[in-house]
Amino acid sequence: MAKSLKSWLKTITFYEILVGMKATLKHLLHYKPITLQYPHEKRTLPDSYRGMLALLRYDDGTEKCVGCDLCEAACPSRVIKVVSAEVPGEPTKRYAKEYYMDMTRCLFCGLCVDACPVDALGMTREYEWAVYDKRQLYLNKQQLLAIGDRSFPVREKKLELQHLNVAFFNVAFKHLPPKEG
Amino acid sequence: MVKLTIDGVPITAPKGTLVIEAARQAGIMIPHFCYHPKLKWDANCRMCLVEIERVPKLQTSCSTPVAEGMVVRTATTAVTQAHKSVLEFILANHPLDCPVCDQGGRCDLQDFSHEYTPTTSRFIEVKRIFPKEYFSALIETQMNRCVQCLRCVRYCDEVMDVKALAPAGRGTMTEIKHFTHHELDCEFCGGCVQICPVGAITSRLSMYEYRPWMLKRADTICTYCGDGCQITIQTKENKLIEVNTAHGAGRNNGDLCARGFFGYHASTHPDRLQHPLVRRNGELVQATWEEALGFVAETCIRLKMEHGAEAFAGLIASRCTNEDLYVFQKFMRLAIGTNRIDSSARYGQINGVRALRRVQGTHRWAVTFEDIVAADALLLVGTNITETNPITGLKVKEAVKKRTATLLTVDALVPAVGTISNIANLAAHHFPVHPDRFGHVVLGLIKAVVEDGLVDQALAHRAPAYVQAIGDAVQALSWPALESATGTTSGALREAARIFARAARGVVLVGQGVLRSPGGYGLTTNLLDLLLLTGQHGRPGCGLAPLAEENNDQGAVEMGTVAEYLPGPCDLNDPTARERIAGLWKEELPKGPGRTLTETLEEARTGKVKAMFVVGENPVGSLPHAARAKDALAQLELLVCQELFLTETAALAHVVLPACSYAEKDGSFTNTEGLVQPVRRAIEPIGESRPDWEILSALSVLMGYPIEYGDAKEILKEIRSLIPGYGLLGAGPNPPRPDEAVVSRYLREGYAEDLANRYAATQPTEKRTGHFTLLVTQSLFHSGKFSTRSTGLLEIQNTGVLGLNPADAARLGVTDGDRVRVSNTLGELTAPIKLLERIPEGLAVFPEHFDEEARRLLGVSTDPQTRVPYCKSAQVVIEKL
Repeated sequence: MAKSLKSWLKTITFYEILVGMKATLKHLLHYKPITLQYPHEKRTLPDSYRGMLALLRYDDGTEKCVGCDLCEAACPSRVIKVVSAEVPGEPTKRYAKEYYMDMTRCLFCGLCVDACPVDALGMTREYEWAVYDKRQLYLNKQQLLAIGDRSFPVREKKLELQHLNVAFFNVAFKHLPPKEG
Repeated sequence: MVKLTIDGVPITAPKGTLVIEAARQAGIMIPHFCYHPKLKWDANCRMCLVEIERVPKLQTSCSTPVAEGMVVRTATTAVTQAHKSVLEFILANHPLDCPVCDQGGRCDLQDFSHEYTPTTSRFIEVKRIFPKEYFSALIETQMNRCVQCLRCVRYCDEVMDVKALAPAGRGTMTEIKHFTHHELDCEFCGGCVQICPVGAITSRLSMYEYRPWMLKRADTICTYCGDGCQITIQTKENKLIEVNTAHGAGRNNGDLCARGFFGYHASTHPDRLQHPLVRRNGELVQATWEEALGFVAETCIRLKMEHGAEAFAGLIASRCTNEDLYVFQKFMRLAIGTNRIDSSARYGQINGVRALRRVQGTHRWAVTFEDIVAADALLLVGTNITETNPITGLKVKEAVKKRTATLLTVDALVPAVGTISNIANLAAHHFPVHPDRFGHVVLGLIKAVVEDGLVDQALAHRAPAYVQAIGDAVQALSWPALESATGTTSGALREAARIFARAARGVVLVGQGVLRSPGGYGLTTNLLDLLLLTGQHGRPGCGLAPLAEENNDQGAVEMGTVAEYLPGPCDLNDPTARERIAGLWKEELPKGPGRTLTETLEEARTGKVKAMFVVGENPVGSLPHAARAKDALAQLELLVCQELFLTETAALAHVVLPACSYAEKDGSFTNTEGLVQPVRRAIEPIGESRPDWEILSALSVLMGYPIEYGDAKEILKEIRSLIPGYGLLGAGPNPPRPDEAVVSRYLREGYAEDLANRYAATQPTEKRTGHFTLLVTQSLFHSGKFSTRSTGLLEIQNTGVLGLNPADAARLGVTDGDRVRVSNTLGELTAPIKLLERIPEGLAVFPEHFDEEARRLLGVSTDPQTRVPYCKSAQVVIEKL
């Protein structure tokens, strides 16, 4: 009898629901709301944040990328396309003639950054890349370098001992156009 | 067989096998740099060290032959330690520029480093840097990356016999250099690029445009000569990137020549025709396929109604696939209804085939490349084999250098060391004769055979009348006359004849110098007589091998695209063959006669032929002006060209249809030794171009006579129903045996009809003083006109340069690079000259690939029997400009 009374009491006071809502009610009293008023307030990003990708330069302004295509090979979602070639006017020196990233597909896994042998790729802390037109996320080399320029103002020093691309007799070399500028 | 154990695996290997080879065959990979199965071992890289029981120190497995009971271990601590040390030494100097190196991803050093070395080095010294002398246009060397295995040097010497490369310096400062100043000047076979285990020697053509893992491969057949080398075309995003070939693959076994290795860009030349062109108001303008084909079909039907089928003729290049050739002749025979078909096999190959059919009843060689390598005596007549058929040349070189065969050569060129190899340098007896006197040397050889009692006894019993007749014919020739004509001694001829007759295996190779010059058919038959007389004919591994110039010359004959043959080849007038083919085609064959190239042009000129289909062939650009091909073709009411480029002939056409090059279609080529090999598509067709057979098939539908196929394989299936067993069967060719019935008929009566002609030592036209013989020949770096569209080959040779002997040049007062005027009664040309010691005095050699001007100087004569147009030489005067 006492048992049925107890259960009747629980039923009319919604006891089980109160038990279930215990954690919720606790939070209601003890915690502040965590929602940020996003465009006005911004979160502090962790140090290892992987944001927008960028191409970097050395301190003398030259591109770091040597066009080795290893980032393209490492990318799991085929974001990157590198068109490599010889540097005009500097035979046997390789560079990325064109470099494209289709950021609509990027997972921000950072494998390309790991793969890069010359640290030419960096992950910035930029994430505000919402656009109205998806095509704006198909970035070329100039755009990627610009992102790098604004996100990494401190540049790495270029190695001093570089393999010189000169020959004693630069004869009969008509394949490459002369160096621009 | 020797029994041994490698890593606990019991192995049996033939005596003399190297341990590294035995291990490889057992599936155990021993790392190595300097070893290569093609080359003699050098054991200089020390990478292949293994432990052998009861031998105190580690041994190089590439130089140790297997021995009975040997116990080899390849993965002990001592061996691993040795690998580490070797690699540490190499990496002390090897730059870590793998990311920018074209070899990265397929580099032996990279692979072994991953497998065997620690990730750090104990060396803190600065790496060596070699100063660079020049940047090459084709073969780029990066000596900083060199591991000094000397594979390139040994390949260049042992296999190619060019000896262009050599090591210079000592120790780590050893550098691969070449002998000439500034730029490398060699055969440009690309062998060093292919054989380099690291990225020290790379090809410049597609430098840095790819990474090995991006490439899509297509194993196909090279289109530049009759050797039929297997090449792997590597493409990236429908772009031709590079060509290479694997050791052990194809008839070339991993070797290529400059044309094969550097000539691939011709297919994607920007001048390729991309759309059909139709002549409107005298101009060729772009049209759709529907318009162009509709116009052709309509005009054909009209002309056929007006003039009958005999007003049509067809001409096809033997660079097309067998499938194209077959559909072409079927189209001409059934949809049009004429037998007036010919192909570029008429330029020379037909001489060889006709002679073989006449004497031994086969249309193919009775020998293979393996037989050339295994031969004891090789006789090369009229062929500068290194330049025309480089890979067959390599077989000859292998036979001489590795198998100690005796080489006898009859050619215009003289032995001299040059930048490219010269087969005459390897000859035991070389007969340097004027190009129209090769026949005299052969007559001298036959005379020596008869007089010195070298005639095969079995033959003397079998055909006494034949031996007697030939004996009488050569007795009528006098030694002094032969000696004065050939400039050699009877002693040398007798010695050469003795070597050839006594050899266990004798092979005769006949080249362009014979097949494409006057009397080619008769001389080829004489060479078969020589084989018969010495008893070399019909023996396994012996025989005559006419060398094809174009990649599918042999296929063109076998597909029946020459005037005298139906597919098979069967004689056009052979009633049983006609009946059989008509039964298979379910259609009567046309009754009209076949017409050869020159006859067709003549008939076009007189207006008998009103319409012509020209597929890939360019008579205006190949025949000299004296043949007046342009006038003839201009007379036509309809000229349809299927072409890759707007050639001289296509420019005259009423309709030009864009065709696919070999890189864009499937099919098969038949090489000079008669091996049918598959051609595979590497890239998508350029523009709107279509394979030749598909164009013809589409036309046949419009003309109301559908000859339809789903793909190239279906055509090959039909060919196989006509010619049993046609297609690739096994890795190598299965050469036919001479048909004894035909040989007997030849020995009984066949020889007699033109015996007097063939054995007449025609007094050669006396050379007039101050006159040169101009030879228009094939160069090593080009093939036809197609290769002159390839950027790589144009780097090596881009203009017609007249080759002259230095003594002649000195007499004319000219030197390298000077321009001269070459003239005769027909015309003149000016060209720069190059002094070449291999060219004899009195001869001037001009490459046929740049002969727009030179063709004006040439006359044309036609063979009375085979109707081959001979137009490769002329008498000229050379003056200093």
